[in-house]
Amino acid sequence: MGRYVLRRLLESAVTFVLVTIVVFVGVRALPGDPARALAGEESDPASLAQIRKSFGLDEPIPLQYVHYVGNALHGDLGRSSRTGLPVATTIRQALPVTLQLAIFAVVIAALIGLIAGVVAAVRRRSAAEWAANSVALLGLSVPSFWFGLMAVLVFAIAYPILPASGFVSVFSDPWQSFRHLLMPAVVLGSALAAVIMRQTRSAMIEAMSTDYIRTARAKGLGGRQVIFGHALRNSLIVVTTIVGLQLGALISGAVVTEQIFVLPGFGKLTIDAVFTRDYPMIQGVVLVTATAYIGINLLVDLLYSVIDPRVRVGGAAL
Amino acid sequence: MTTFELVTLDETAARPQALGGRRVLRRLRRNPLALAGLIVVVVAVILAIFANQIAPFAPDHTNFSAALTPPSAKHWFGTDELGRDQLSRVLFGLRVSLSVAALSVALSLVVGVPLGLAAGFYGFLDPLVSRVADTLLAFPFLILAVGLAAILGPSLGTATIAIGVGNVPAIIRITRSEALRLRGLDFVAAAVADGASDFVVLRRHILPNAVNTLIVQATVAAPAAIIGEAVLSFLGLGIRPPNPSLGVMLASAQPLFRDGPWLAVLPGICIVIVTLGLNLLGDGLRDALDPRESPR
Repeated sequence: MGRYVLRRLLESAVTFVLVTIVVFVGVRALPGDPARALAGEESDPASLAQIRKSFGLDEPIPLQYVHYVGNALHGDLGRSSRTGLPVATTIRQALPVTLQLAIFAVVIAALIGLIAGVVAAVRRRSAAEWAANSVALLGLSVPSFWFGLMAVLVFAIAYPILPASGFVSVFSDPWQSFRHLLMPAVVLGSALAAVIMRQTRSAMIEAMSTDYIRTARAKGLGGRQVIFGHALRNSLIVVTTIVGLQLGALISGAVVTEQIFVLPGFGKLTIDAVFTRDYPMIQGVVLVTATAYIGINLLVDLLYSVIDPRVRVGGAAL
Repeated sequence: MTTFELVTLDETAARPQALGGRRVLRRLRRNPLALAGLIVVVVAVILAIFANQIAPFAPDHTNFSAALTPPSAKHWFGTDELGRDQLSRVLFGLRVSLSVAALSVALSLVVGVPLGLAAGFYGFLDPLVSRVADTLLAFPFLILAVGLAAILGPSLGTATIAIGVGNVPAIIRITRSEALRLRGLDFVAAAVADGASDFVVLRRHILPNAVNTLIVQATVAAPAAIIGEAVLSFLGLGIRPPNPSLGVMLASAQPLFRDGPWLAVLPGICIVIVTLGLNLLGDGLRDALDPRESPR
């Protein structure tokens, strides 16, 4: 167990270093001079030099990298070249919006996906399986942003029962928050629900045909106990992985969803930063996303070594 | 020379039976959903290729006297605020979507398969390639696309590269695990004992046996690529208006929601039909290519 954890930690650290390099180099490959963008209209050479100095842009690139990583590790991601506010503060303000949206979406997706997946696997060749499969297929084929547009068209314009845009934190007003986030969360979670459903279904079908399930049945355990205690438990490994693997899709989806429903979250911050060439902001946003992603994947891997002892014994992660 | 033949004989005997093309087709034919998917895909490809001949109007032909007319006999899909025929624009948009899908999947295979084979076959390359794949995976697709669009400028090429690169880690991982699995099998050991060069082993023995898995992955990636293109264009990171793309059409439909709902509904339905077709075909292929699945 200890060795496996150590190996995964080391791998994650290497990936993290590679990510910081890619982000750093990538941002420097962007066209346009950040100092000029900061200076705005009155860009005489003296003030440009002043800005380069104050933002450390006149240092050699490798030194800039070292400073950048050092500062980032202290939670200092620089200042936005557009608003002048610290990047870390701005991100901290946007993050709760995206987190609430994402968590809500994952909960909805997991509930729908698991239930539909188990039903489809247990009641094979029935109307229920057919319906679950069809909905999953539709969930994968409907682009979520179009689904979002249609949802707005139906539930905000034709039958105005839900607000079309805006954000209310769950901590200030749970009911209003629910109303504002319901549509975005369903839109964001729909594709994930489809993926979870399919994986749960196939993992359950595979599990149901294994020897240990036959043994469990032979011991005289009831259908419900076999399904939930044995087969589903093993299928959960797959679901855990899927949520880890789909995290990127979830973050991408959040960017689009926030754009449609005008939520002041992380995704909107990202798009705005790119269109305004806000280098420090892009750098910060990408770094935070990638770090979160690496961290959650590490967590998922460690979680599965707890759920599935074979992983840590064999030392082979999928 | 005799030993050579003996080993070759042994090798074919132990080789996992890959399904022949004809058998796959026969299995596909028995699956009505997959067949429907195949027909949808073929029709979409034909419509996209012959958009010039089929479209009733030029995609950028404006007619202000017929602006924002709902679907009618003359304009099946209605017209937009400039009086452009939406059916014609959808047909040309389909061409864009399908080309992006095909090119991006090809790109990810060209980059990912050699890397995956190398990582799976040569243990010492594995940590390096796997870390590169992990690093790529650490950037959510859209963040990667946003970054690329910022560097390269928003264009169709950018969208294709972003989607293709986004798929590379998955292709690397799948090819790697196939190569790892096959490397340990007897027929590969036999070929190596036979004195076959690494290249020959990889090309003649490992790659052909990994093809089925890769085909399935490609059918998963293609519909995702179509949606990816639509998303990027919708956000203004892909193809730029006035060129028609299904995503661009949806983006420009958003402000006209109340006056012309058909502008958002119909191109979206087209995306759904095409991706649904591809998904059905992909599912059918996966079942047909899976030797464990009993023929229905």
